[in-house]
Amino acid sequence: MRRILFVDDEPMVLDGLRRTLRTMGKEWQMEYATSGREALEILAARVFDVLVTDMRMPGMDGCQLLNHVRELYPHTVRIILSGQSDKEELLKSIEPVHLYLSKPCDAEILKATLARTFAVRHLLENDSLAEVISKIQSLPSLPSLYYEIIDEIRSADGSLARVGDIISKDLGMSAKILQLVNSSFFGLATHISSPAKAVSLLGLETIKALVLGIKIFSGFSSSDLPCYSIATLWDHSLATACLAREIARHLNLTQDEIEDSFLAGLLHDIGKLILLDRLPEACGKIAEVASSTECPVSQAEKKVLGTTHGRIGAYLLGIWGFSESVVNAVAFHHCPGECPNDALSALTAVYLANQCQGKNDPGNINKTVNFDLDYLSKSGIDRIEELLLTCSDPCRLGENGGCEDSFRR
Amino acid sequence: MNRVEELENRVKVLESKLHKEEKVRRVLMDRVENSVASTGNSFGLFENNVLLQKNVEQRTRELKSLLMEKEEVNRKLLHEIEERGKAEIEVSSAHRKIEALVSSIPLIMIEVSNEGIIKRWNAVAEKVFQIESSEVLGMEIYKCPIRWDKDKINELLRRCCSEGIAMTLKAVKFARTNTDGVLDLTISPIMESSLNFSGLIILGADTTEHVLLERQLAQAQKLESIGQLAAGIAHEINTPAQFVGDNARFLDESFGDLERILLLHDRLLDSLKAGSPTDDLVKSIEEMENEIDLDFIRKDIPNAIKQSIEGIGRINKIVRSMKEFSHPGTDEKTGVDINRAIENTINVARNEWKYVAEVATDLDTGMPLVPCLPGEINQVILNMLINAAHAIAEKFGKASGSKGVITIATRLNGEFAEISIKDNGAGIPEEIRSRIFDPFFTTKEVGRGTGQGLAISHSVIVGKHGGAITFESEVGQGAIFVLKLPLRDGMESS
Repeated sequence: MRRILFVDDEPMVLDGLRRTLRTMGKEWQMEYATSGREALEILAARVFDVLVTDMRMPGMDGCQLLNHVRELYPHTVRIILSGQSDKEELLKSIEPVHLYLSKPCDAEILKATLARTFAVRHLLENDSLAEVISKIQSLPSLPSLYYEIIDEIRSADGSLARVGDIISKDLGMSAKILQLVNSSFFGLATHISSPAKAVSLLGLETIKALVLGIKIFSGFSSSDLPCYSIATLWDHSLATACLAREIARHLNLTQDEIEDSFLAGLLHDIGKLILLDRLPEACGKIAEVASSTECPVSQAEKKVLGTTHGRIGAYLLGIWGFSESVVNAVAFHHCPGECPNDALSALTAVYLANQCQGKNDPGNINKTVNFDLDYLSKSGIDRIEELLLTCSDPCRLGENGGCEDSFRR
Repeated sequence: MNRVEELENRVKVLESKLHKEEKVRRVLMDRVENSVASTGNSFGLFENNVLLQKNVEQRTRELKSLLMEKEEVNRKLLHEIEERGKAEIEVSSAHRKIEALVSSIPLIMIEVSNEGIIKRWNAVAEKVFQIESSEVLGMEIYKCPIRWDKDKINELLRRCCSEGIAMTLKAVKFARTNTDGVLDLTISPIMESSLNFSGLIILGADTTEHVLLERQLAQAQKLESIGQLAAGIAHEINTPAQFVGDNARFLDESFGDLERILLLHDRLLDSLKAGSPTDDLVKSIEEMENEIDLDFIRKDIPNAIKQSIEGIGRINKIVRSMKEFSHPGTDEKTGVDINRAIENTINVARNEWKYVAEVATDLDTGMPLVPCLPGEINQVILNMLINAAHAIAEKFGKASGSKGVITIATRLNGEFAEISIKDNGAGIPEEIRSRIFDPFFTTKEVGRGTGQGLAISHSVIVGKHGGAITFESEVGQGAIFVLKLPLRDGMESS
């Protein structure tokens, strides 16, 4: 049984939710509060998986409530359901929020969002890890890219296109920007998978407010660890993104799936970034285990943490509202067979791209690539060699350089 | 010049006299010499000669001093001539300067003689009226071809002539070939002495552009206030939209459930009519009732309907108020139902005050329509209401949870409609009371207010409506602002 707490100062909104979610009563246990204070009392008595709160309320507002909840009950996923449309007010609330839904929100969308959040919880059964991830507001960026974007935004002739380019090259920035854009923060109706497109939709002024005012980005400062080399992580992520997109095109996936393949390719190792940033000791242990037992990193992760960087990254993206297709592709990029859905998808493209890129990975000692042929045949792919031969050309040409141009497409 | 000639003549006379004397002297000297030569002893003659010589010297001295006097006079004269020449140059340059000054005045300038004849028609007049000076100079002003309100202007001109006092007239409309224009006119009499009237000067400022800009500014301010309110209004609409939508979905689903039960009831009825066994049907009906939670549905459908109607009512109310609040502003005063304007403003701004205050109204139902500019009065009431809400937020703080009270009242007070806006907020500190109507004076944090609210309110109430705006405040207790609007629209004149 999953528990949800709804908070709104308008009792009729709570009545409406109670009525429309009544059919979910068998799976979800729902409670309702009309103020932040009441909500904190209820939260003190029981554990809740998700909190859905209004933004503007007399006394304690939604933002204050979420800040309390982040500190007291970090594992609870924090969602805002608000009719607020003032951009400045919205910007104030983005820090403690995982997901933002705007009123009027269709009951089906609300149900789907809640269901997706619960599904993501299945990815990570380790509660203490879930707490660590739920507290994350943003992820560090490659220092060079961080300074580049600060300079670009501060400069008098800063350009939206260049800002888009820089953000597209960075894992942390891309993830954060897409979380904001897709979380109906800014009332954009369509689903956006391209960081560059997200930037141009937000506009330079909003980006400025986000980066300089709210400081949603930060530079990476942790030391470079052997099996999680930061620079190679970025290079590998970009190269995988480009290759995954090529593969997705050749597999005749839909335009949305092609974009998701690129995005999931870029973010597939974001779990490594989370580990580096939040659990550096665990990283050290994983590296030790990996080198002493000569096993792949993901297996060492399982031994140390009980889960993989794929699932860790996917959990964050899931509570940040990324689409199921991206979340699955990130979660299972090393083990597509574990994915409940084995149809041809972004996961297929990212899996193949990552396996190919693995050959260039300095951490990969034996340089051989093994494919999960069982998964691939279920997805309907039989001639892998041919597919990879045609796809890998454009990306091998320019490493990152070749990719940059294609970002603007 | 007469004096110069006179003096010159005198000099000539003296010169000729001197000349004659000299001749006489020489003749005498000759004679003396001759007589001395002819007579050996001539003492008497010598004596005579000395006397004569003295006489001559005396005369010569006199003549010399006369000559010097003449030169002095001459020098003075030359100086005076020089001075006069300079003065003449100065006069003509001053004249040119005045002409340049007059022609550089960016105003329409028409000079009319005391017979009503146009004497001057400057370049600005040519440009603004699109009439050349050659067409109108010498023409009677009453017949000039400017296409303006002739009756009114001519009446004003006549009054100026007969009473000898200056007249001003604002916003005089006139027609031109391409566009029509607006003028501010001043007609002043030219008085040579306190009684002697010698004509008129008509000065006119072309305010067409200014009026246009003012209108655009008013529009911009209106848009700005609507923009400020838009987010709040959206919030006020989104909230009921959320629960009305949820309720509709619930009604849809519950009707589906009820339909399933009704089908079973139909079958039960058929069975009863046919006398068939009904035990199974009754059982399935009972099961179905449990499955769909019939008790909940029956209890909640009326609530869902009631709340939906209320939600739609809320949306309607704010949309209607919004429409009336942002009523396309006329730039003419119209009769406004002040009470209704206040209620609309309270509605559209609900999201700005409802988290910090309750708003109470005490409206005089006997209030007649008040002649005013509806858009601008709405703007003023809005400013006052938002200021009151901010003052309360300042006092009670954000998270305290307790709310303040704003009371808006209207009263008919003699020739005035009075609107009072009272709050129990932070009050206005003594030291800033004299400055609160100054433009750009604000105590609010940057971004919270432009500091123009009260300045604009003041200019609207006092400047545009001839009313008054006053306030009283006690620090920590709140403030009350009183707006007075005249019930009769006064004519502007000076």
